[in-house]
Amino acid sequence: MGEFKVHRVRFFNYVPSAIRCVAYNNQSNRLAVSRTDGTVEIYNLSANYFQEKFFPGHESRATEALCWAEGQRLFSAGLNGEIIEYDLQALNIKYAMDAFGGPIWSMAASPSGSQLLVGCEDGSVKLFQITPDKIQFERNFDRQKSRILSLSWRPSGTHIAAGSIDYISVFDVKSGSTVHKMIVDRQYMGVSKRKCIVWGVAFLSDGTVISVDSAGKVQFWDSATGTLVKSHLIANADVQSIAVANQEDSFVVGTAEGTVFHFQLVPVTSNSGEKQWVRTKPFQHHTHDVRTVAHSPTSLISGGTDTHLVIRPLMEKVEVKNYDAALRKITFPHRRLISCSRKRQLLLFQFAHHLELWRLGSTVATGKNGDTLPLSKNADHLLYLKTKGPENIICSCISPCGSWIAYSTASRFFLYRLNYEHDNLSLKRVSKMPAFLRSALQILFSEDSTKLFVASNQGALHIFQLSGGSFKHLHAFQPQSGTVEAMCLLAVSADGNWLAASGTSAGVHVYNVKQLKLHCTVPAYNFPVTAMAVAPNTNNLVIAYSDQQVFEYSIPDKHYTDWSRTVQKHGFHHLWLQRDTPITHISFHPKRPMHILLHDAYMFCIIDKSLPLPNDKTLFYNPFPPTNESDVVQRRTAHAFKISKIYKPLLFMDLLDERTLVAVERPLDDIIAQLPPPIKKKKFGT
Amino acid sequence: MVQLRPRASRAPVSAEAMVDEGQPASEEEAEHGLLLGQPSSGAAAEPLEEDEEGDEESDEAPEELTFASAQAEAREEERRVRETVRRDKTLLKEKRKRREELFIEQKKRKLLPDTILEKLTTASQTNIKKSPGKVKEVNLQKKNEDCEKGNDSKKVKVQKVQSVSQNKSYLAVRLKDQDLRDARQQAAQAFIHNSLYGPGTNRTTVNKFLSLANKRLPVKRAAVQFLNNAWGIQKKQNAKRFKRRWMVRKMKTKK
Repeated sequence: MGEFKVHRVRFFNYVPSAIRCVAYNNQSNRLAVSRTDGTVEIYNLSANYFQEKFFPGHESRATEALCWAEGQRLFSAGLNGEIIEYDLQALNIKYAMDAFGGPIWSMAASPSGSQLLVGCEDGSVKLFQITPDKIQFERNFDRQKSRILSLSWRPSGTHIAAGSIDYISVFDVKSGSTVHKMIVDRQYMGVSKRKCIVWGVAFLSDGTVISVDSAGKVQFWDSATGTLVKSHLIANADVQSIAVANQEDSFVVGTAEGTVFHFQLVPVTSNSGEKQWVRTKPFQHHTHDVRTVAHSPTSLISGGTDTHLVIRPLMEKVEVKNYDAALRKITFPHRRLISCSRKRQLLLFQFAHHLELWRLGSTVATGKNGDTLPLSKNADHLLYLKTKGPENIICSCISPCGSWIAYSTASRFFLYRLNYEHDNLSLKRVSKMPAFLRSALQILFSEDSTKLFVASNQGALHIFQLSGGSFKHLHAFQPQSGTVEAMCLLAVSADGNWLAASGTSAGVHVYNVKQLKLHCTVPAYNFPVTAMAVAPNTNNLVIAYSDQQVFEYSIPDKHYTDWSRTVQKHGFHHLWLQRDTPITHISFHPKRPMHILLHDAYMFCIIDKSLPLPNDKTLFYNPFPPTNESDVVQRRTAHAFKISKIYKPLLFMDLLDERTLVAVERPLDDIIAQLPPPIKKKKFGT
Repeated sequence: MVQLRPRASRAPVSAEAMVDEGQPASEEEAEHGLLLGQPSSGAAAEPLEEDEEGDEESDEAPEELTFASAQAEAREEERRVRETVRRDKTLLKEKRKRREELFIEQKKRKLLPDTILEKLTTASQTNIKKSPGKVKEVNLQKKNEDCEKGNDSKKVKVQKVQSVSQNKSYLAVRLKDQDLRDARQQAAQAFIHNSLYGPGTNRTTVNKFLSLANKRLPVKRAAVQFLNNAWGIQKKQNAKRFKRRWMVRKMKTKK
């Protein structure tokens, strides 16, 4: 493989924002996750839990409630009082409608999917009708005294339970009036000064209302008589979320201590017909508050302030006990937030509201395998570029020569020119942006930094010519047919002739840049693309999909390469396919065309196409090659996949030149150290 | 009808006493008499007046005042008083009228010209006509009307309209609404923060939380974030500066 010097970078201070709401859509098996900075991400649970799409956040748009309605429509509501509908095809916001009730705390879609119920700060519950293109206000229900923090529809659609501060009200939908008002005890069999906040309610079809509140109780109420049936005290802190399965035989609650409890309806004795709710399993996968839970037919999904998304398949619901039934913890982003300029050894870090430019340090020392070399020159923080406005940055890129930086928010596109003179850096903004260039989903510079490729929001692909300090629009490839399945990814060849763009259901399109027309389309695959790159000399397009398959497609010949066919016939090693995290970056060695370098969050791998492929019985993770082992043994165990797990968790890994690699790590402890305070846990002996 | 009062007796002593005590009573009675317009009281009042004047001047004979003249005088006075009151009232009314007109003028000056207002109201009305089922827009219209009445002339007054008719390039918003909305949002965020992290919740720092495991190990280890880098920042900065200056001085003296 060769010897490399590795720049280990740990100064990327990436902290994801906390998860606030989670909504599961049964029909398409997709999960919508909203975070506290306003970002809404869509995960495709059947495509190996890959984050397909996301809507960038906005400072004033912190969501408090998220729900799916009929026909795959996604709505969210937040403290700015607006109900927002998201367009999943155009990847932007369709409209934002003000509910005129003050900040909105909760939202629920009716079981039929055609009505939307919203609970506001002023105590009013508003009913909206969902029309094909918009939502329309229908009427108000009886106004309550304090803010409505949680809502739930009865599956038959006749009643509604609304949880507020110290009480729960049951409404009748037809008349809009309160049927019952159930007062919640402030403390379990006691008196307390703190008000009891009912964080979640769930209405079952037999008339039972389940409520979870800030005193740590889970209570069962009978809505016909308005009385308390049973009360469970499960935590010392708040119980903040509840989600019921579709069959209504199990539900899950999340507490502020990070524990998730699973309740199930079990028969009292083994042959009696009577059933009761029993707390069956506790799961401790979080360290901080679990603010939201969801129940899919086979798994429990939870997310909270510690920014992990945890998907726990339930063993009794999973049919085949294979790797699919393992716990999934999604912590690191599924797309690249870092770009690299190889010539000048610069790294551009993308944060939510600013960009940072760093120059890597250098060393003059040499050493053997595994040594840590001291830096002679420290890494330099060159630039801190803050965006104007409340919107988050969607994507950013730095040109390979290091003189251009481009980034985009949801409404504007920015391009900057950098000048380096004797250790001084000056930045100049290119002011006149064309009007059609609003927001970009992906930005890429060509290898010689003369062309800029932008995949815009409307589906078009723009090519700009950069020269000196100016830029000019060359051509726009119009959107191709096919629905938008995932965020667009771009890849350009080293000689600048070919441009590959993914994202639609039609496959990966390859365009000829010199002649400005569509060259060919890689056949569609049923999983989304996670990373793409074009090899320098052979012009082979290497594509990594979310089910951990890697394909190689020859662009000039318009078919898959022989190596790719061999790999597909042979199949990948089972340990390769069982990796949790998607491959986010692919790069190549300039002098060794048989090597492909790729990485995901917990490993990086160099695929050597000349070596034989491993089958399921061979040792996959080769240990560090010891020098005293005989050549014969080495040749027998050598296979094409050289994997190293030294640097993890990896956010980015790239080849700077023939002998240098750069690895950007983000230890989990550094992220946890910057989170808000968790609930105190009392342990004996401390 | 007529209130009984002690009749003036012919005896001088009793008359004096009566006069002294009866002066305020006499004035009242005089008024009563005048207002009631009853000749009996007027006639009854006569001798008292006569007595008063007579007492003051002592030697001269009292003047002969007929009832009619006294009544006329009283009536004149009354009329004068009434007229002054009326004049005052009218003056005040006029003043108020003028002031109101001035206010209306000022208001009109601050308002947008009538043409644009007409456009806005017709636009909202056409919207209502287009969608008769939209209760919300009607509410908005009513709200606008209510707000119009109670609006302060100091603030910039622009109505909030859901959709402006021709050119959708701008949206007029009331500044007061925006402040209210921000205030409510702040209150909501404060509520959430208080209920999750406020007093009464037992929260601990992340450092203590992660170090809990270290405390229970068989070989006790230090906390996860043992160093407090925020301690003595000023001291450290001063030391750095001093060191730099000392180095420069050292180099200079060496040369």
